[in-house]
Amino acid sequence: MSLEWVGSVLAGTTSVGVVYLLGSLGEIYAERSGILNLGLEGIMALGAATSFITTIAWGHAVAFFVAGVLGILMGLLLAFFTVSLRLNQIAVGLAITMLGSGLSGFIAFPTTRKTILRALNPELPSTALEAQSAPMLPSAPLPFLKDVPIAGPMLFNHNPVVYVSLILAPTMWFLLFRTSVGLKIRSVGENPGMADALGINVFRIRYLTCMLSGAFSAMAGAYLILGFQPFWIEGITGGRGFITLSLIILSAWSPLRAVFGSLLFGGIEVLQYRLQLFGFGAASPQFVLMLPYAIAVITLSLLSIESFRKRISAPAALAKPYYREE
Amino acid sequence: MDKSVRKISRREFLGVTKAVAIGGIVAAGIAGGVSGYLARTPEVKEVTKTVAAWPPVEGLRPIKVGYVYVGPVGDYGWSYGHDRGRRWADERFKNVESFYIESVPEPEVISAIESLVAKGCELIITTSFGFMDGTAEAAGKYPDKYFVHISGYRSGAAGNAPQNMSAAFAEFYQLYYLCGLAAGAITQTGVIGYVGAYPIPEVVRHINAYILGAQYAYKKRTGKNIKAHVTWLFSWVAPEDARLAASALIDDKNCDVLNYTEDTPAVLMVAEDYQKKGRKVWSFSHYSDMRAYGPTAHLTGPVANWGPIYLDFYRMVATNTWQSVDIWSRVGDYMPWRWRQPLEKSTAGKEEGTVYLAPISPVIPNEWVNLIKQRYEEMKEYLFEPFTVEGHDPDGKEPIRDQDGNVRIGPGERADRGTLWSMDWLVEYIEEPLPK
Repeated sequence: MSLEWVGSVLAGTTSVGVVYLLGSLGEIYAERSGILNLGLEGIMALGAATSFITTIAWGHAVAFFVAGVLGILMGLLLAFFTVSLRLNQIAVGLAITMLGSGLSGFIAFPTTRKTILRALNPELPSTALEAQSAPMLPSAPLPFLKDVPIAGPMLFNHNPVVYVSLILAPTMWFLLFRTSVGLKIRSVGENPGMADALGINVFRIRYLTCMLSGAFSAMAGAYLILGFQPFWIEGITGGRGFITLSLIILSAWSPLRAVFGSLLFGGIEVLQYRLQLFGFGAASPQFVLMLPYAIAVITLSLLSIESFRKRISAPAALAKPYYREE
Repeated sequence: MDKSVRKISRREFLGVTKAVAIGGIVAAGIAGGVSGYLARTPEVKEVTKTVAAWPPVEGLRPIKVGYVYVGPVGDYGWSYGHDRGRRWADERFKNVESFYIESVPEPEVISAIESLVAKGCELIITTSFGFMDGTAEAAGKYPDKYFVHISGYRSGAAGNAPQNMSAAFAEFYQLYYLCGLAAGAITQTGVIGYVGAYPIPEVVRHINAYILGAQYAYKKRTGKNIKAHVTWLFSWVAPEDARLAASALIDDKNCDVLNYTEDTPAVLMVAEDYQKKGRKVWSFSHYSDMRAYGPTAHLTGPVANWGPIYLDFYRMVATNTWQSVDIWSRVGDYMPWRWRQPLEKSTAGKEEGTVYLAPISPVIPNEWVNLIKQRYEEMKEYLFEPFTVEGHDPDGKEPIRDQDGNVRIGPGERADRGTLWSMDWLVEYIEEPLPK
């Protein structure tokens, strides 16, 4: 295992991990305010589909913007049903996941996609209309830093979205734990009745975090297809939304720990294939391939145990609708 | 003439309807628009319809054909290939109405077949291995309909299914061998890789054929043995995983020619990325011509056209000449005649029959392009088979051995269909064991 090998594994780890990191940053805010956004997977798929199409029509920057706006709309939908109508967050979340996955397959289907692309940009050449893959984000290696052993390939030889995500994580941690806005968000998730009595607008906070979570989920999808794997297939997210949900629990709702959680899951994904080639579990690689899903299932099941939730200090009002009158 | 109408797919339909169902309440807002749109969406899609007059051929009645696909047709892979075959056959047969249901889970094949029968289809084609038993059951249930199952082994002809069921497969191992020749001719590191879907006989014989071809060319070129590495995805469609697996083969094992069984061009795209970064890595097309996804890295590749097979069954049904058959279509089949062409007229790299090579890249040195063409032409006349000592060793002496050193195919032998169909061993040059 040379230094080069480690660097190459870690470079892959970061480029996969950012999918999880982006998804978890918004979701942590939502869960800290008491909203469980199970629609993450669907919003991610929708973000991937829309950014795939808009990138071809208008380029990368617009694609992230459009995905973000669409994510905000999906977040509003979630907020409307869970905050205003106080419906069961699990059911609404799953419904949004199915809606998002279905819609993503629909709009990115070759014939629909061609129609949309023609409408968005009539001057596109036919190769662009036919292409089943998105142009990838250009890599922007940072001079000097990229040559540092291990840290260079891991952190400083990627596309700009990776850098932005890595800077966002500590920023969002600071906002959540060191500012009064963050305190409000957290108190709404711990004890909405008390927060309300103190004059915090529970509904407004929860609407905002829903929108934030939607935007970040959609941008995670956009990064998935523009930054990591540019070929479109239906179901491109492959359960990554649910894995994100479980890594949030692993990182105990902290944006900083989420960086490590994301890199852990990214690392497992990368190592699956590296390990096969080193003879690790080569006779039954399916067990290694199962790892990320197994960890997701275990953490999600643990969350349903009351004492475990207390120990990892889960937001007390997570997934509970708030009634002002009671 | 032909009018292709694309409507919402079954998976999308189910996805959205489930969403509407669960959020019955949720639905209030969304459903208004969405379900209104969906309400008029039938589950079975009518895709072609003969509108204009086609001169009625005596004794050739119009037919209705139904297809059951395991995946979505919008992707680039297996089901897409079958749908292309359907359109090819429809275009030529003309007097046909065809229907398809996509993304059918394997246990649900019977209900899919039933809805196609209800549509009036008399020929039903199911295109996934997992549909085999369900198709045989339906064939028993509807003795007056005709069934074709792709990639299985049950048919009336084989004696393990009703007489109204046929089996068919377009076989690639010969083409993988030719890809191997290209790999052995161009590799600089002497190490080649393969990203496999599942360790099943079909994939295993494709891997072995690829490695044998590479060994032949590399040995002849350098006198050394080829080294090969295989990783497994345990999935047919997984571009992210294929991407990671391909990078692992390149970065960790120094492989510079990668072949694969995965339904997207992901591996080819990885090779192209490395080419852009200045590292010579090559790859292939798979099931359709994928040159657009790796213009520099593309060497050639196995391509299938299921159309001629389907057209054959259309004819049988329309002319009342059905006979249960077990088709294993290889190079040279479904061509006007079986005759090898001289090198300068070789059709290697051009569309013909049911299985053929994607265009051959000019980066492969001429003598090796000629060998690829020669072998391709010889295969048409059964003059050459990959799984022989002659296919393995340039001197025609070394037998084909498995990873444990056992001789599997000796001098004068040629792997028969049974051996190929149930292949469960890897050739000696591969370093990873075969997962059990």
